[in-house]
Amino acid sequence: MTADNRQAGQFTSLWAQLRATAGRGPAPYVLTLAYATIVSALLLLNPTTGLGTDMVVVLFLLLMFVIYRAPTMLAFKLTLGTILLGVIMPVFGVLNPFYIDVVTKAGMFASLALGLNVVVGFAGLLDLGYVAFFAVGAYLWGIFSTPQISNIVPGMVPLNGSWFWLFLAIGLAVGALFGVLLGLPVLRLRGDYLAIVTLGLGEVIRVLATNLDRPVNITNGAQGIKDVGRPPLFVEPLFKALGLNISVIQEYQLYFYFLVLLILALTVLVVYRLNNSRIGRAWTAIREDETAAIAMGVPLVRMKLLAFAVGASFAGTMGVIFSALQTFINPPTFDLLRSIGILSMVILGGMGSIPGTMLGAVIVTLLDLQLLPRIASELSILQRRGVPIPSWFDPAQYQRLLFGLLLVIMMIFRPEGLLPEDRRRQELHQDDLPAPAAEQEQPAPAAEAKPEPGS
Amino acid sequence: MTLLHAHHITKQFGGLTAVNDVSLTIDAGSIVSVIGPNGAGKTTFFNVLTGIYKPTKGTITFDGKEIAGLRPDQITTLGICRTFQNIRLFGTMTVLENVLVGMHARLRASLWPTIFNTPVVRAEERAARDRARELLTFVHLDDKRSQLARNLPYGDQRRLEIARALATSPRLILLDEPTAGMNPQETAEATRLISRLRDDLGLTVVLIEHDMRVVMTISERITVLDYGTKIAEGLPDEIRANPRVIEAYLGKGAAAHGGEQVEG
Amino acid sequence: MAVEATTGPEPLVARRSFRSFMSEVFGPLLQVLAFVIGSATILGLLVVLVAAALRGTRTDIDLLQGTISILPQVIVDGLVRGFLYATIALGYTMVYGVLEFINFAHGEIFMVGAFAGAFFSAALAASGMLDGLGPVLFVLAAVLLGMAVSGLLAMSIERVAYRPLRNAPRLVPLISAIGVSLVLQDVMRMIAVNSGLGFNASFKTPDLGAPIVLGQMQIAADRTIPISIDSRSLIFIIVAIMMVTGLNYLVNITKLGTAIRAVAQDRPTASLMGIDVDRVIAITFLIGGALGGAAGVLFGMRVGTVNPYIGFLPGLKAFTAAVLGGIGNITGAMVGGIVLGFLEAFVASYLSLFTRGQFSGPSYADIVAFSILILILIFRPSGLLGEVVTQKV
Repeated sequence: MTADNRQAGQFTSLWAQLRATAGRGPAPYVLTLAYATIVSALLLLNPTTGLGTDMVVVLFLLLMFVIYRAPTMLAFKLTLGTILLGVIMPVFGVLNPFYIDVVTKAGMFASLALGLNVVVGFAGLLDLGYVAFFAVGAYLWGIFSTPQISNIVPGMVPLNGSWFWLFLAIGLAVGALFGVLLGLPVLRLRGDYLAIVTLGLGEVIRVLATNLDRPVNITNGAQGIKDVGRPPLFVEPLFKALGLNISVIQEYQLYFYFLVLLILALTVLVVYRLNNSRIGRAWTAIREDETAAIAMGVPLVRMKLLAFAVGASFAGTMGVIFSALQTFINPPTFDLLRSIGILSMVILGGMGSIPGTMLGAVIVTLLDLQLLPRIASELSILQRRGVPIPSWFDPAQYQRLLFGLLLVIMMIFRPEGLLPEDRRRQELHQDDLPAPAAEQEQPAPAAEAKPEPGS
Repeated sequence: MTLLHAHHITKQFGGLTAVNDVSLTIDAGSIVSVIGPNGAGKTTFFNVLTGIYKPTKGTITFDGKEIAGLRPDQITTLGICRTFQNIRLFGTMTVLENVLVGMHARLRASLWPTIFNTPVVRAEERAARDRARELLTFVHLDDKRSQLARNLPYGDQRRLEIARALATSPRLILLDEPTAGMNPQETAEATRLISRLRDDLGLTVVLIEHDMRVVMTISERITVLDYGTKIAEGLPDEIRANPRVIEAYLGKGAAAHGGEQVEG
Repeated sequence: MAVEATTGPEPLVARRSFRSFMSEVFGPLLQVLAFVIGSATILGLLVVLVAAALRGTRTDIDLLQGTISILPQVIVDGLVRGFLYATIALGYTMVYGVLEFINFAHGEIFMVGAFAGAFFSAALAASGMLDGLGPVLFVLAAVLLGMAVSGLLAMSIERVAYRPLRNAPRLVPLISAIGVSLVLQDVMRMIAVNSGLGFNASFKTPDLGAPIVLGQMQIAADRTIPISIDSRSLIFIIVAIMMVTGLNYLVNITKLGTAIRAVAQDRPTASLMGIDVDRVIAITFLIGGALGGAAGVLFGMRVGTVNPYIGFLPGLKAFTAAVLGGIGNITGAMVGGIVLGFLEAFVASYLSLFTRGQFSGPSYADIVAFSILILILIFRPSGLLGEVVTQKV
């Protein structure tokens, strides 16, 4: 053991002691509550836009994961979480409309990433064209809620906003359908081929979206579709009754915030139940060893298709929401970089891990949409004051570098992610912990271990 | 009663014939061994029986049904299951989950009932866990059910593979070198377990094995493959004395010295 | 060098008969030539037939005449695209041969090569030496520089981002490679934008000569058109052929090639035979990267501008070409590149013509390429010439 290792060992044991102290008796309740109170107070008392608030928002979202991991009663976790996300965040959103948008996006990407996690994390199928299903959902609502539809079905008028709710379900179904259609030909392929082929399919969908303005104008080509319909604000009277006097834009922000929160909660529930079922076990088995899985009676293609369809259906629904939220969609929104961005969320958090994937989504979205642009603008302020920062250094411009480094570094140093999947924790009986991974002894091939007959 | 009948099976890979015109009949409730030198085509033959390879020629009847050309999962569902020469457990799953995967085809929970977590699904899951623990108890692994499969010692992994195979509710179990890499004591235990599969559970067992003591102790019939061809078949004593078998194992010259050496 | 230890004191080359030498170095080229002629003939006949069938539908132009008059240009375009994909595909296929790993960043290696050339030409232009160098020397120097930069880059990437993951599950190095490709794009962008070269860097060349007229083609009683090939395309094709020949020599004749093939066939055994596997893998990356870099320089020279994202599509298509020819198979990669290049050139040129511009040829050419990839993988995963590396079950 080198000196470095020993130091690391001491550090870990110190950490373990700290954890043990913080995790005993009422300590976790007090600590979590204190954390929650401080962060909430900071948000509500100082709702300005700036680097400081950025950090507090990050701490607020990390608090969710602290609550999840803290050794407290489930009821406590749920109550605290509901108060924070259901009351504190919206109130903060009313005070400062900038952040709730970012948080809504983070929720949306968390939901998307959970869908991809079903495919990549649970079933082990590397899908590099995941954003195609997102695009399908977005274009579905984009076309049906705007005059584009009249180009396809002559005489049909755009659907009004109330149809949005039905389209959430239709997006789910169409996403699943596309998942099956695109999955059917490719799911027999070996893992690395599958990755490249799904990447190709994702590009095909994007190229089609760019070029299907002729001969019939379906997608409006590179210009994209604007003025996508929004659902009616049926909650408006409720806001008024609460004494809120806010603009329609803000009302929609809150509306979409709660919608995304609801969908995310449903997604988590669905993914959790699937993972701990016959279906989820079959997926993990396929990921671990396809040959053994099929020999144990798991129908490979059917289960893979199911994973593809489930993942794609989440993306389809989220696409419908995305187009209504943005009211504008165009092909570059759905490029390979977006797919890889979602993949890097799953990988950062931990493939196969539900809380990990959400953590990854939150970190990557915040970095991408909030922190990097903020750091960039702070740097440029410093620059103008004469601090020698090279002018080319603009962190907001280097999304690819960020995603790329994230992927390489995670693969080399922590392929299991920040919050790895832990199947053992899910079992009811945690008492009998195993001895630390005694490296599986490689049996000598039988021919060498045993004397040959007669020898 | 014949449970499985493989009829003139041939398997070729490109120009290489790995299994050549092998026929095999297995009676229900028997323990049969397939032996032969390395590379004789034994594992390929297992792979053909379980559907991992499609036979180039020949038919396989299991319990009166033709199974050649079916997918491995379909064959498993019909009641043939196997273990692997180089243990293939699902390493990051717990011991209990490994067994539960084996039950996949026997459980019904589909997508929507699972999402809504219906009482039927919950009841099925409970029953499956109980059954899985019974099987783990049978192979003496119940106390390790929450460990990750990859953390088990070698002998436990072998037994877990058998428990997982049992979870598919097979009628015929194919064991590919179940005692490979074991010390004499572990081998003896494994041999007892194999006997219990038939005696306690009423299964039919086919095993590939290199350890002649195991083979001669528990097999009722032995089939010998060499270069993909069946060169002998019969009772243990007949095989022991068969000059072609001795020749296959030891080369031409040794055959002249008589057969008693085969037992090794 | 470790490889030398495996062979006897007498070099292998000396024992080889001249005949087998020629067949191993030039045999693959003959195969490639056969596919070139075959693709050009079949596709050419096909478009002429389609044009004849559609002749009545257009009144504005004579479709048949139009089709025939651009045919020579399309064939040249097909050749250039074909050799472009072939040279990049060689990098994919060699690495896949030794590691069974898709080097996703290979398209970016190609892009970096193109930038190396662009920097070289910009530096020459800045010092006023561009025209003084002469076309041959310029092309030679630019290509060699591109090869060196890309080859060394590919080798370093292997060392840093792939080697630590060699025994990890298959998807792990692939994801790492995706990361590397993104990093390379942005780092190159950072360098290009801040060095004054710009995002769209122009690739200046000395005067490379006028198009060479190969002959005249009579397409109507009163009209002939010249069949010509522009000098940049010609350079591309000539250099590509030279490189491919060199690679055949390297892989099939030299001891190093023997070592590479041994590692591709069975890594543990090769290592037992005294071959330094790490070294052979590094060299494979070096060679593959160098070929990609050369292709990048030639591509940049022909197109005239390069940007940090040019590697993605050619990379993806070259991978398609490698799969089409049978991944792991060196001749297959060349053949696959040629076939794919011709298909694309024909779709890109004729689709708009035949559909009155309703379908944009170049966009749908991409879709055709991906469709080929999917169809090949489903129906003939071993490719046209067969996968050399067998999968171990």
